[in-house]
Amino acid sequence: MNLFLFAELANPNVNIPIILPEIVIAAAGIVVMLFDSFFPGQRRVTGIMSLVGIVLAAVLLFGTWSAGMPASAWNGMIAHDNLRLTFSFVFLLVSAMTILISTIWVETEKVPAGEYHALLLFATFGMLLMASGNDLVIIFLGLETLSIATYVMAGFRKTDLKSNESAMKYFILGSFASAFLLYGMALTYGATGSTNITEIAARVADPNFPALLLVGAAMLIIGFGFKVATVPFHIWTPDVYEGAPSPVTGFMAAGPKAAGFASFIRVFVLGFPLMAGVQASGYLHDSWMAALSVMAILTMTVGNVAAIMQDNIKRMLAYSSIAHAGYAMVGFLGAGAASTVLERDAAIASVAFYMLAYAITNLGAFAIVTLLGQKNDRRTEFEDYNGIGFRSPVLSFTLSLFMLSLLGIPLTAGFIGKVLVFRPALEAQNALLTIVVVAAVINTAISAYYYLRLIVVMFFRERTSDWVEPRIPAGIAAALVIAVIGVFYLGIFSSSIIERFSQTTQSIGSVSTR
Amino acid sequence: MNGGGPRSPSYIMDLIAENILTILILLPVVGALAVLGYQMFWKQESQLKWVTFAITLLNFLLSLVLVFDKGAASASGFHFEKNVPWISAINTNYHVGVDGLSLWLVILTTFIMPIAVISTWHAVEKKATAFYIFLLLLESAMIGVFVSLDLLVFYLFFEASLIPMFFLIGVWGGKDRIYAAVKFFIFTAIGSLLMLVAIIALYFMHADATGVGTFDFVTLLNTLKLGNMTFSASAGAFLFLAFALAFSIKVPLFPFHTWLPDAHTEAPTAGSVILAAVLLKMGTYGLMRFNFTLFPDQAREFAPLFIVLAIIGIVYGALVAMVQPDVKRLVAYSSVAHMGFVILGMFSFTEWGMQGAVYQMLNHGVSTGALFLLVGFIYERRHTRMISDFGGLANVMPIYATIFVITAMSSVGLPFLNGFVGEFLIMVGMWKSTILSVTAAANWNYIATMVAGTGVIFAAVYLLWMIQRVFFGKVTNDKNRGLADLSYREIGLMVPLLFLMVFMGVYPRPFLEATHSSVSEIQKRVMQRAGGEIDQAQVPGPSEEKTEAHLEIQQK
Repeated sequence: MNLFLFAELANPNVNIPIILPEIVIAAAGIVVMLFDSFFPGQRRVTGIMSLVGIVLAAVLLFGTWSAGMPASAWNGMIAHDNLRLTFSFVFLLVSAMTILISTIWVETEKVPAGEYHALLLFATFGMLLMASGNDLVIIFLGLETLSIATYVMAGFRKTDLKSNESAMKYFILGSFASAFLLYGMALTYGATGSTNITEIAARVADPNFPALLLVGAAMLIIGFGFKVATVPFHIWTPDVYEGAPSPVTGFMAAGPKAAGFASFIRVFVLGFPLMAGVQASGYLHDSWMAALSVMAILTMTVGNVAAIMQDNIKRMLAYSSIAHAGYAMVGFLGAGAASTVLERDAAIASVAFYMLAYAITNLGAFAIVTLLGQKNDRRTEFEDYNGIGFRSPVLSFTLSLFMLSLLGIPLTAGFIGKVLVFRPALEAQNALLTIVVVAAVINTAISAYYYLRLIVVMFFRERTSDWVEPRIPAGIAAALVIAVIGVFYLGIFSSSIIERFSQTTQSIGSVSTR
Repeated sequence: MNGGGPRSPSYIMDLIAENILTILILLPVVGALAVLGYQMFWKQESQLKWVTFAITLLNFLLSLVLVFDKGAASASGFHFEKNVPWISAINTNYHVGVDGLSLWLVILTTFIMPIAVISTWHAVEKKATAFYIFLLLLESAMIGVFVSLDLLVFYLFFEASLIPMFFLIGVWGGKDRIYAAVKFFIFTAIGSLLMLVAIIALYFMHADATGVGTFDFVTLLNTLKLGNMTFSASAGAFLFLAFALAFSIKVPLFPFHTWLPDAHTEAPTAGSVILAAVLLKMGTYGLMRFNFTLFPDQAREFAPLFIVLAIIGIVYGALVAMVQPDVKRLVAYSSVAHMGFVILGMFSFTEWGMQGAVYQMLNHGVSTGALFLLVGFIYERRHTRMISDFGGLANVMPIYATIFVITAMSSVGLPFLNGFVGEFLIMVGMWKSTILSVTAAANWNYIATMVAGTGVIFAAVYLLWMIQRVFFGKVTNDKNRGLADLSYREIGLMVPLLFLMVFMGVYPRPFLEATHSSVSEIQKRVMQRAGGEIDQAQVPGPSEEKTEAHLEIQQK
């Protein structure tokens, strides 16, 4: 037995260096947790330790981001390709910014910060696994690690009823969705005889795969659809986002959503591809493409229309995040419809870029919402922002910039993101996807109303009550600087990033199997 | 030192001339930063107008290089071309250049800006720093629109121009400014977003046809001209309409005009002036530059629709203007009518009509811009614009009344003033147009011209009637008795505009000559049938009846 284990470990296909980022994040989480139990209340120290862990993981990630690295680890359970690399980069950035933003919250509310940081690192670990998992089991493992950590984070404001409600709702509905996902994975395994995505894709080529796979795929759509908050599986989002503490909301909208997309894309685009000459695979492919196209249109429309009617900024941003999941799905569909590997990889890279742009912009916005919300997020209504434009010009113009980027105005990250995700969908030149893109741009125009509303409220109205400009703590200032630079950098000098994201050091999905 | 060593003055002059378009775009941005810095260090908000004025004036003077130092045109027919990769991953380039079509529009922009700045001398009381920053950013975006030759970059500037204008209306506007600002933004955004889809679709159609996707206008045009890329009927119609919708909303063509009266009425004077003088021209410019050249077949196919809408706009705009109680709203509706004329001339697809349309764009910029300035003067004094509040102003403010009447006449199209030249060319062009069907029952081009012609009469009616009520007769309202006549500053900023009105009315040749080759090239491109033969647009159409009809006219 021991000998067997040794032989396994010595197998060159383990490739420890490839999963070093995951290992470092998990280790950092454990260290922070232990440190907190021996030296409780060291808020700054645990924060800095977490940041160091994240930066180290990022360095290691960049180390693997070069040609010549093996395409997989752990016998094909971990994929090492652009899908993994790009999304992992997004996750690490999201976590780092979340830590910076939550400094204010951790300081003013005196919550147990060590636990918070440890949970955040575990959530990050889960996200990294979701992007790198090339096996349904690993994906589920990552998703649950992420979800459980996030449930706790949503309810971290223990004495606040809304926060409790948020955590409870998220937990119950999330478990329900996880069950669907797991059932879908089981059925997929039943139909194909494998949990490895590369192998599933190979089985799909078999013209006689059982119809069970269609049921499995449908359940997977429900499970992932819940995680990325697509209509009609979005009902939980506004309540959870409103109740959770603002930094956690920002994190949930940016990180777990991107992680959901990473797995969603890997399972569907790479696992259920269109095989030339195999009619059955065509049927499967057409079915999920059609289902997701309809979902994408619904997601954008419902998200944007509902966002118009919100009077609370966090709820508005929650619905906006639903809408953005819809836009990201446009690129996803483009990847599904791509006719060559090159086009497909470019489409996947466009989704990753979109999530990066959205994450930076959204976290920037939440940084300001956190700051202006003050203790217990008391001031998160639109009317709380009345006429602060010229009283706090720096904050207001920065928030306006983020709104314009979410809207997709040129010279901001959001614009390039939108162009990139619309591109592959139009490249496919099929009628359905063109309709999806047209729906997306009409939705963008609708969204102008509520993003502008915040600008209108801040700049065009007069303030009647008095206004004390909040002090900007260093953490938030750092997050805002990163966000503003990011928004402009991705909007103007995005060339190098796009190339980095879509260069084919590792063509996606070229994983060797057992 | 001749020949230009690295530091000699001629070297620097060459450098400026070579990068003139980039400088024109970036100088206002740098200026905006300068205004911000000035305010941060010296905190003298009252001096910012000088800084802004200096920057806009400098930009105007620099832009004159475009007129005097042409240099040789590049192979694509554009001057001062620059083509630098921007986002190479999606093959989009910072590609700029001017030709006859865009030249005067750029100069109109840089010319109107210093005037707009002077007009705000005492009007901007609050948040002056932000006001001047937005004004400068707006100038930068507007110039960018007129010179970009890469579709994505064009879209970028087109959208970017919305933001400063949105703030200008929303913060410094009138009572219903928020409604007007949001309406302005959303109307324009809906149109331009569909254009974005069309732009990306063009990229891939080019990729399918040649193997390389591109956003570059010149490359696309060449591929289309060589016949290497064709559109199916449905794709062509979609692309044409997506572009046309964006521009029609901007123009604004009836029935997309409803944002305009609101935006104009609520905007501060400088905003209205820029909106009328430059922003609306983005629409007509876009139609001519992109719709006509990229989709000539569709342009011909849809021309009757646009001509009908333009005529409705002319008549409807004029009729609605007639009953407006608010002077500014009246001028705003007159804009709808005037822009209808521009569209009419463009879609006649004759050189007369199209030259007239380009000329009328400039005229409208000068005359309507001036009218908005004049309305602004009286509003600053009385804080009302209602016609009923005035009467007999000519007795109190003779200079103001004189200038107002001249400007109104230029807008009506009195011979020897600029409006006449443009409208005359447009109507001749439409008369000679072969784009509308000619049946035994009716020569639609004649009918179209005649109906449009009534617009000129209506224009005279509503403007003169307004002048009569505002300026002549006895002073009815006691509040108007003590009004001061125009100050030297106000007269000073009207003088260049008045000069242009007369100059452009008497001697249009330099303007028309500069636009001639570009416009005639576009005209030929539109009237070129698939076989490569140029349709006979200059001479009357092939049918017997038509020739006879034409002869009849000549005899008259």
